[in-house]
Amino acid sequence: MPKLTINGQEIEVEPGTTIIQAAQVAGIEIPHYCYHPDLPVDGNCRMCLVEVERMPKLAISCATLATEGMVVHTNNDRVKESVRGVLEFLLVNHPVDCPVCDQAGECRLQDYYMVYGLHTSEIPLEMKVRKQKVVDLGPMVVLDQERCVLCSRCIRFFDHVTHTGEMQFFGRGDHVAIGTFENRPLDNPYSGNVVDICPVGALTSRDFRFKCRVWFLNSTDSVCGGCSTGCSMRIDHRDGTVFRLLPRRNPEVNKSWLCDEGRMSFHELAAGERVRRPMIKGRDGMQAPVVWEEAVRSVDSKLKEIRDNHGAGSILGFASPSATNEALFLFKQYMAGQVGVTRFEFRADSEDKSVTEQEDNILRRVDKHPNSMGAIKLGLVSKEFGGIEGAIESAREGKLRAGVIIYFKPLVRRPTDEEAESRVAELIRAVEYSVVLAAHKTDWLAEASVVLPVTAWSEENGSYTNYQGRVQLARRAVTPAGDMRPVWQVFALLLAVSGADISWSTAADVFESLTETEPAYRGITYDEARLPGALVADI
Amino acid sequence: MIKTLLMNIDEPDQVEIGRVRERGGYAALEKALRMEPAALIEEVKASGLRGRGGAGFPTGMKWSFVPKNSDKPTYLLCNADESEPGTFKDRKLMECDPHLLIEGMAIACYALDCHLSYIYLRGEFEFIAHTLQKALDEAYEAGILGPSVCGRDYALDIYLHLGQGAYICGEETSLIESLEGNRGYPRIKPPFPATHGFLASPTVVNNVETLCALPWIIANGSAAYAAMGTEKSKGTKLFSVSGHVAKPGVYEVEMGYPLMDFINNESGGVPNGRKLKAVIPGGSSVPVLRAEECEGVLLDYESLLKAGSMLGSGGMIVFDETVRMPEALSVIADFYAHESCGQCTPCREGTGWAAKILRNLIAGKGKRPDIDLLLKIADMMEGKTICPLADADVMPIRSFITKFRSEFEELCSN
Repeated sequence: MPKLTINGQEIEVEPGTTIIQAAQVAGIEIPHYCYHPDLPVDGNCRMCLVEVERMPKLAISCATLATEGMVVHTNNDRVKESVRGVLEFLLVNHPVDCPVCDQAGECRLQDYYMVYGLHTSEIPLEMKVRKQKVVDLGPMVVLDQERCVLCSRCIRFFDHVTHTGEMQFFGRGDHVAIGTFENRPLDNPYSGNVVDICPVGALTSRDFRFKCRVWFLNSTDSVCGGCSTGCSMRIDHRDGTVFRLLPRRNPEVNKSWLCDEGRMSFHELAAGERVRRPMIKGRDGMQAPVVWEEAVRSVDSKLKEIRDNHGAGSILGFASPSATNEALFLFKQYMAGQVGVTRFEFRADSEDKSVTEQEDNILRRVDKHPNSMGAIKLGLVSKEFGGIEGAIESAREGKLRAGVIIYFKPLVRRPTDEEAESRVAELIRAVEYSVVLAAHKTDWLAEASVVLPVTAWSEENGSYTNYQGRVQLARRAVTPAGDMRPVWQVFALLLAVSGADISWSTAADVFESLTETEPAYRGITYDEARLPGALVADI
Repeated sequence: MIKTLLMNIDEPDQVEIGRVRERGGYAALEKALRMEPAALIEEVKASGLRGRGGAGFPTGMKWSFVPKNSDKPTYLLCNADESEPGTFKDRKLMECDPHLLIEGMAIACYALDCHLSYIYLRGEFEFIAHTLQKALDEAYEAGILGPSVCGRDYALDIYLHLGQGAYICGEETSLIESLEGNRGYPRIKPPFPATHGFLASPTVVNNVETLCALPWIIANGSAAYAAMGTEKSKGTKLFSVSGHVAKPGVYEVEMGYPLMDFINNESGGVPNGRKLKAVIPGGSSVPVLRAEECEGVLLDYESLLKAGSMLGSGGMIVFDETVRMPEALSVIADFYAHESCGQCTPCREGTGWAAKILRNLIAGKGKRPDIDLLLKIADMMEGKTICPLADADVMPIRSFITKFRSEFEELCSN
């Protein structure tokens, strides 16, 4: 383990660590544009030059390995002068159009200028090299060649992460520009990532650009709800509206990346009308709004009546693989513990897709739900009954009389979704008594006996268990208008009405109970479920 | 004076293998093939031969960096991407004595246990490609190249590859990138080509003139070669002289030959009764010398360094008193701005910026602070890039301005 000194601070690092990484460990930031922890080193920007004692020239810290006894200076006059010079070069031909640039506020040129630059431009505007200002790069990305610092992060992303190689440098000298061959569209399913890794305003998001200045946004840590991979992400929102989703770096799951479908999934949530109040179907067959108290009491007594008359086997607990661990846990606590239900299911998809099956070899998985593994680990599946089709069959035969169903529409849509949804509708039609917890209105919801409005992903605190069995926390970013409650709260109410002698006031309380009760989750603390997340036991 | 490179340069039929062999061509290769490769490397080390591409790194030492027991093949790449302004010595060798290069390459390949070698020829030298290819074909036909070199148990293939006209591809790692089919961008070193070069395999890149020196060294022995020149600069060196001399061309002189003698004798002196103003001794990238600085300077690596310039590639450009130095510098700066590959920031932005300021200056639109700005840009570029192209721009900018500042100031409005 080499020991080195950076700015007088002695640190020990793993062999193979570069100076820039070692500095990071020591809490020292070395300015850089082209270096990125999840891309191969390129060394072109020259911002990260540092002084290494006994080396004649300044060395790029991104490509220089930390070695035993090395003495590094990152902030002496010689280094500062070098950084200032490189920054001045980067700004020589930059249009400095910050007032109309979407990157303003999170731009490395702006940030470093305030720390290292503060110089007056010595090049008149008419001497600057002009390039193309608005280049359409496909569905996700818009390119401004003049703002580009030519760090090659985007090129390296397509060369080394997606292996699709769409982007390249064109031209030479100060006329070099990035682009795609013959302006072919950049339409691979991960193209949005280059907007994140672009350190300046050259690559901007077609979806987000001009929507909101970034300093008005609030950020909330979350986990993607788009598939079973469970990528760590950040929700940027303002006044109850989500503006964009960005990856949070998680080396164990998604590194620094998100797929475009996951990145755009918040639009799916915002689309469609919400269920806003609890509804109960009256004798006339029409649903009418009720207060939560009444809805919960009605559901509890009706379920117990059916149980008493027809046995617990006549009731189905149909969970959702999109609900949080906390929701699924209290669902199980109520359904199994209070009503005595033993028949559980959570998949509306006909085939039993493997949670772990990959859709490509980068991030996307076939299972478009964030918490299928949670449902599996909590035992919310009873294989012997033949899935949802078996349940519909049983209901038609009169064996199954009631169902408590949690239904969230997937945030990432696939052509098979409609089929899956129609099966849920069929199930509701086939049972005598149906309680549906839903976020969005659908045609068939009017046929349910009780509809309970719930919050969805991004609107509640909770945790999800991804395909690896990794428990990760997602925080509430926005609050929808209406009388919705998180699913876990609905079952907490039902448990209270049913007489269970335990109460939970936050999702964190539920998480604690979950980790005390469920063997797979035993011992996991809330803190451990933050980045990179904690793995459940293999039970 | 002994010629080790240009001995047959004036023979018009030296491009024909039959005549080449009559004049003793490929005898050195036959001799080399009877030697142990390790002994051959020692012989080249002992000769004191240094790389003639410009850097002057000892050739034998460069060869000895190639790992002995690599599981990958070793490649020898001949750098024939000669494109430094003022330099045209390799062109002369390839045009007039192509078999000398092939013989030198075969000797080097044998010493390095290399069985596949490429000549990376400058794109604009397409007309030389025909000469070289014909010579290669003749060598194959004569059994000098191919599965059994000169009838020995040693196989060697040499391919000719034509570049696409980028100066940067003369930098050895860009040359390798280009040969691999990539954009000609210099690589970050380490790792060095000796271990991770062409196709991530051990690779030696040698200049045309360096390789052409090998047959003489092998034929006459390292001691004979080392007997010529100075203590640290051995043998002979080609100089391509252009500009204001009566006899521009390529000349071979012993290392340590006096610069002024070279200008006045070999090059025929400054014509038209004009006075010498300045000399760029080693290609456009080395610092310029004022006429008075040239007195007593010898043509070898150490003497020119002491005089404040460099031997470089031996591309000598002579300026008489009519030359306006800002204009000359502007031409050089335009060249480097045009040829900067654009990979690293200081060179990409700095070469272009400096060239624009100079164009402004000679158009009479400059201001006095621009002169110091040019020097500042030079400071900002120097030593901060992956390859030496930025430094190659820095040296003329700094030397022209510091040595001829008044000429720049005269162009400025106040």
